[in-house]
Amino acid sequence: MSARLRAWVEARVPMQALIDAMRHKTVPLHRYSLWYYFGGMTLFLFGIQVGTGALLLLYYRPSASEAYESVQFIMARVPFGWLVRSIHAWAANLMVGCALLHLVSVVFLQAYRPPREITWVSGVLLLTLTLAFGFSGYLLPWNELAFFATRVGTDLAEAVPAAGDFIVRFMRGGDDVTGATLTRMFGVHVAILPAITTVLVALHLLLVQAHGMSLPPSIERMAREQGRRVRSIPFLPHFVLRDLFAWTIVLALLAALSAFYPWQLGTKADPFAPAPAGIRPEWYFLWMFESLKYMPATIAGISGELVALIGFVLCGILVLLLPFLVGHREHARRRVRWVAMFVIAFVAVMTMIALRIPGEGQP
Amino acid sequence: MLSGIVVLCSVAAMSAQTSRQAAEDAVRSDVHGSSGITCADCHAGQRTETAPPRTDVARLCARCHSDPAYMRRFDPQVRVDQFAQYLTSVHGEQMRKGETRVATCSDCHGAHGITRVRDSRSPVAPANVAQTCARCHGDAKRMGAFGRNETPVADWSASVHATALLKRGDASAPTCSTCHGSHGARPPGVTEIANVCSQCHVREADLFRASPKKSIFESIGQAECLVCHGNHKIERPSDAWISIKGDAVCAVCHDEQVKGASTIIAVHQGLEGLSNAVASADRTLTRAERAGMLVEDGRFSLREARDHLIDARVTVHAFAEAPFTAVVSEGVAAAKRAEQTGDQALRELQYRRRGLTIALVVIVGFLAALWLKIRSLPTPD
Amino acid sequence: MCPSMRAVLSRRTVLDRLLGAWAAGVVGSILYPVARYLVPPDVPEAATATVSGGSAASLAPNSGRIVPFGSAPVLLVRTPAGELRAFSATCTHLDCTVQYRPDLEHVWCACHNGHYDLEGRNIAGPPPRPLTPFDINLNGDEIVISRRA
Repeated sequence: MSARLRAWVEARVPMQALIDAMRHKTVPLHRYSLWYYFGGMTLFLFGIQVGTGALLLLYYRPSASEAYESVQFIMARVPFGWLVRSIHAWAANLMVGCALLHLVSVVFLQAYRPPREITWVSGVLLLTLTLAFGFSGYLLPWNELAFFATRVGTDLAEAVPAAGDFIVRFMRGGDDVTGATLTRMFGVHVAILPAITTVLVALHLLLVQAHGMSLPPSIERMAREQGRRVRSIPFLPHFVLRDLFAWTIVLALLAALSAFYPWQLGTKADPFAPAPAGIRPEWYFLWMFESLKYMPATIAGISGELVALIGFVLCGILVLLLPFLVGHREHARRRVRWVAMFVIAFVAVMTMIALRIPGEGQP
Repeated sequence: MLSGIVVLCSVAAMSAQTSRQAAEDAVRSDVHGSSGITCADCHAGQRTETAPPRTDVARLCARCHSDPAYMRRFDPQVRVDQFAQYLTSVHGEQMRKGETRVATCSDCHGAHGITRVRDSRSPVAPANVAQTCARCHGDAKRMGAFGRNETPVADWSASVHATALLKRGDASAPTCSTCHGSHGARPPGVTEIANVCSQCHVREADLFRASPKKSIFESIGQAECLVCHGNHKIERPSDAWISIKGDAVCAVCHDEQVKGASTIIAVHQGLEGLSNAVASADRTLTRAERAGMLVEDGRFSLREARDHLIDARVTVHAFAEAPFTAVVSEGVAAAKRAEQTGDQALRELQYRRRGLTIALVVIVGFLAALWLKIRSLPTPD
Repeated sequence: MCPSMRAVLSRRTVLDRLLGAWAAGVVGSILYPVARYLVPPDVPEAATATVSGGSAASLAPNSGRIVPFGSAPVLLVRTPAGELRAFSATCTHLDCTVQYRPDLEHVWCACHNGHYDLEGRNIAGPPPRPLTPFDINLNGDEIVISRRA
């Protein structure tokens, strides 16, 4: 680009400062550098969701009498509609997986320690939003599986004392899962959650840029001992090209999954039919679903479901506040890794048990 | 001893009183009682505990039920020819001769506690008719006394009609009275069987009557539909019946020498070909559906093909090649159309996978070039 | 500039050009499906609520024809009086496909001699229920059949 054109643009849209900052940004290179890619991967998958979601919006109809048929129409009559829909469904699952891997890597590499506490908080909120995206989007095709999974999922809130009924009504847009629920989930999925997510993603990225990439304590220690700085690569173009490499692989994976394991539509929801056998939520909720089954009916007079619910919420709060609890204490942070390994094992075992029971599911 | 007799008498009187009480209660709420008819109306001129003699029962009922002016008061549409029909029945004939071991009105309808026929508790409601007839016609001793066997009811219970009526609740399915008549009950004559079956199986009967078989069966005294399908134990016919080999139904009379052998072979082949075409199309469409493709047009054509298969099985009753092969070829064409839709969907799937492979090649090429570019970047310090 | 340096530079340019070409390929294989997707298909919406019943002029009085509605058949009838009617063509007895009988001037099922009148009501034979009616609208000469809400 000629210098005069660049000057003209810069005078009106000042970007040079940003570009210079990017040029100077570096990314550390060490044995754990691979984990740096997962945050960007999650962002890439979010971008794919926004893109494919916008395309789906051109043909989808959010009413109980037309939703299923419109998705069928997209898959059968719209050119490459099958591809857009399958990518949207697969990328949703990959995004949840990526976000979880990103979380796990941040825990193990202790990247949440000061001054990155707010980055952590925004990240945990983003994970919650991602799960909410998954839950709300799952109902939109209005098929049998999603209908009953939503009913079972929202039933859970009934266990909350006093406010339980209100919460259930609030989520369902009524007393039962109906077209009103579909419309509500649709509004949440395409407007409310994206708006909140955009703000939080902007905050999260801003903070990551401001603080730079976190170095794991062991790497820091090694560098200190060896008396030299940690090797690093420039963000532009080295890291960006590697990022692009990883993103392209994920793109290829999505295309392959869509062609060889297209996302099934199943049968249309019939609110008056009995629930078919094998109803279960998406895989990332399975561990909760399964552990609820092992709760006794009551514990010390309180319903077992409520105890489990309180347990989940407490764990969620602990995760959210993790940096404030152990941020400053190196020893505590190392202990947290053992706790994390136990939690991961528990979640994995519960998920595997739930999957062992044959159920109608996705590919 | 006297006290014993007194006790016995009073017990007998009490049990007589109990059954009289039961009869009175039953009549009070039944179709007669609720129309204002009392015990005396039927039991007039006798002590009310005594039943009228069996040979008199039908005439007694007919006093009212054959009187149009009287019956109109209760139901303007009700029929009044039951007694006239009864006189033409085997039961009526025998009863007139004084044989009391046959059915009369009260045997089927009851005496006290009579409900309307359409009431599902009535012994002559469609679902209960066979059970009521079986009281005599399923009893070996009773039937043996007349030189008949007791198998009809059991046979019927094993038929497709019984399954339709009793298991599926299809009230239109025939039971004993549907084919034999109720009041005018007698087995249909040899040349009347097709008329009876044609009440529902119109097309089969029309084709049969127009075919050479009708006059052939008449001349050899064979009872039309019964010859192949049976009378009571009517089971689902199979395409395997149509063959000149083994224990096929046609083979009972036909072999390679008898006229019609070529027609039988042609019909058998036609049915086999069509049902194979339908099954193959169904398999292809199911494969396409399992792979996530939509094949509604194919399912519509398959339905058409199945309709033609049913039509072909009906057209067997023309016992001629020409009309039959016309139906079969239309059916095969429809099945082929269905299969084509399924094949198209599966080809589309292959096309998608080919398109994906090309996209993957492009992506891998890009990745290779990118990899080289990354490697070529100056190493950072 | 010495020859080896020129060689290095030109290798880099070749690599960049190669990268650019493949990148264009990747971008193209993304944009092509998106562009095709954006163009509305021939049938612009799901044909489950409505279906075309063909030309109205080609349906003479006292005649009928079968029209596919998804995978199920619909019987389109023009009564002797000239009115258009549409019913599900699946017999309510045992699911055979019914037909219009011009000689009887009403609907008939060949399987077990079931009869339906011109309102779809079951009037004789085994069928236990009437045929489901469909709504008819005329778009010029085109008959448009839709499910009753």
